[in-house]
Amino acid sequence: MKKSFLLFLIASFLASAASAQEDEVLIGLVAPLTGDQAYVGTGVLQGAQMAIEDAHVRGPLFGNARVRLAPLDDQHNPTQAVLAANKLASNPNVMGVVGHFNSSCTKPASAIYHEARITQITPASTNPDISRQGFDTFFRVCPTDDVQAPAAAAYVYSRMGLRQAVILDDQTTYGRGLADEFKKRFTALGGTVLIHHGITQGEKDFAPLLTKIKSIKPELIFYGGVYPELALLIKQSRKMGLKAPWMSGDGSFDVTLIKLASPQFAEGTTVTMLGVDPKSLPSAKDFVARYQARYGPIGSFSAYAYDATNVLIEAIRRAGVKDREAVLREVRAMKDFHGVLGPVNFDPKGDAIGKSIGIFQVQNGEFKFLEEVKPE
Amino acid sequence: MSLFLQQILNGLSIGLVYALIALGYTMVYGVIQLINFAHGEIFMVGGYLALTVILLFSLFFAQVPVWGALVAMIVFSVLGCALLGAVVERVAYRPLRGSPKLTALITSIGVSFFLQNAVMLIYGSKEQSVPPILPYHVFEMGAISFSLMQVIIFFTSIILMTLLTRFVKFSKTGKAMRAVSENREAASLMGVPVQKVIQATFVIGAALAAVGGALFALNYESINFHDGYLAGLKAFTAAVFGGIGSIPGAVIGGICLGVFESLGAGYISSEWKDVFAFILLVTVLIFKPSGILGEHLPEKV
Repeated sequence: MKKSFLLFLIASFLASAASAQEDEVLIGLVAPLTGDQAYVGTGVLQGAQMAIEDAHVRGPLFGNARVRLAPLDDQHNPTQAVLAANKLASNPNVMGVVGHFNSSCTKPASAIYHEARITQITPASTNPDISRQGFDTFFRVCPTDDVQAPAAAAYVYSRMGLRQAVILDDQTTYGRGLADEFKKRFTALGGTVLIHHGITQGEKDFAPLLTKIKSIKPELIFYGGVYPELALLIKQSRKMGLKAPWMSGDGSFDVTLIKLASPQFAEGTTVTMLGVDPKSLPSAKDFVARYQARYGPIGSFSAYAYDATNVLIEAIRRAGVKDREAVLREVRAMKDFHGVLGPVNFDPKGDAIGKSIGIFQVQNGEFKFLEEVKPE
Repeated sequence: MSLFLQQILNGLSIGLVYALIALGYTMVYGVIQLINFAHGEIFMVGGYLALTVILLFSLFFAQVPVWGALVAMIVFSVLGCALLGAVVERVAYRPLRGSPKLTALITSIGVSFFLQNAVMLIYGSKEQSVPPILPYHVFEMGAISFSLMQVIIFFTSIILMTLLTRFVKFSKTGKAMRAVSENREAASLMGVPVQKVIQATFVIGAALAAVGGALFALNYESINFHDGYLAGLKAFTAAVFGGIGSIPGAVIGGICLGVFESLGAGYISSEWKDVFAFILLVTVLIFKPSGILGEHLPEKV
């Protein structure tokens, strides 16, 4: 009697748990929400939140399934990234993940999502090696550094007419990858790389390195990394009278760069960004307006996060069941998805097809769009 | 040759900041044999207090001359950090006075996390830009150039170190400090107020770190709640290198570390900058385990 009562209790508990789960579909979002890159991470989170809210307006995905966002913080720390990925993988309601932000986090996490058959779409990780691991669950809506850095190198060589460069990077998966791809194309075009050195993230004093660079007299300094260190490098180099222009990639496309380096020193710094400025795109006009009304200034990667989240929502809607494999099949089959940054298409590796690179330059204290480099 | 001298100069200015922080490590160790890992965070708080003063001045007292703002900034961060040092000692370390040394050491790591996260919650996690208050003046001497800020760092730290040496040598509190570090029990039997002396040591150490933090924030014009970690680690290295417990040792250790890092980064490779710092430490510890000027064997940490 006692035993059967216990069994009944367990059974009824399981049944109620199952019925409560049925209507909840989760999309994980992992980005640095605290720590020194919390600022960009928050922009990603807000972009994804808007996509979820838009989905709620359209009603349930299927049956009475409602989609919710499960935001997690990886502090741009690969160890935290793996913890977050495991947490999402063990939750059966998670049908997809938008993230992570930093390549150094996305890469180790991608193995866990692959194992768990969770579709992962990163809005921002550009290191080309991630999609070369052969994981069929990995996708990205942003172009890669083997598109971005060559575009930068070609711009420097052909349009700016510069031949002698010094390359620096922050020794991260992203920074080193970007710097290496820049070096490859720049030397292939006929340019000379005088030295290529790494710096440590979190370091403040670059005087010894910049003193050395000053004595080499480069025509350009390319930096692979994220804006806080670049801001210090720019400022310290100008203070010691090093005049060579600076160039960097999407990790430095942030207005905080100009503020930290101070506008007078940041002037003339060239930065490549994934795609063109969302504010200049007719397809993103409505999104940008709604975003700014709700959250304030739009983050550099908010539109990518919005598109990535929408791809996942659409795939779950089309799949019509709560099944990770079915969602994955739908993302794979997706053709010309209507994203605010233009049509979304993936190649067999999961990389975005047809994304162009925008060249921006700091002029009068703000990023000015110079030109668009179409994919080769 | 001029490049070499320039690199020495670069190393000297960061080395003096390391030395200012290292003094706090070494004094506290000398008196209670505690490696105070929260000391790097006191340095960071000093920087944030300086930033607060600068922001207040630019908002409300824009007419005050630069020197007034500079002095107010240093005084405010010194007082703030001295108070913080005293509170940390009272709240976190004094209740553990009789317990094993490891307990206090782990507490200091806890205090360090607490201060980091408290600052993050108050000021935000974003890198903060410190508005420049001094003109970017560069002095040229032949092929060598140095900034106004470097001159200020140089003189401020030399003056403070001289004052500290004289204070420890001749003042009553200084003599009491030396007595406590020699033999705490004997000192207490001779009527030295040990508790007060320990508190004074924390306060002086924190005040020096505050000056370091303020100068650091002004020089690099950017500040982050993480800054105490790396700077603290380097200063700790400098203190051990110079001989932990020895005041001149901390100064020499800081300067040597700065110069060595600068030469390593300038001549070999900047990605090895931190490696050089630690190679230097390991080499000294192999051949002279007590550090350059140290007398006791350092505790294992």
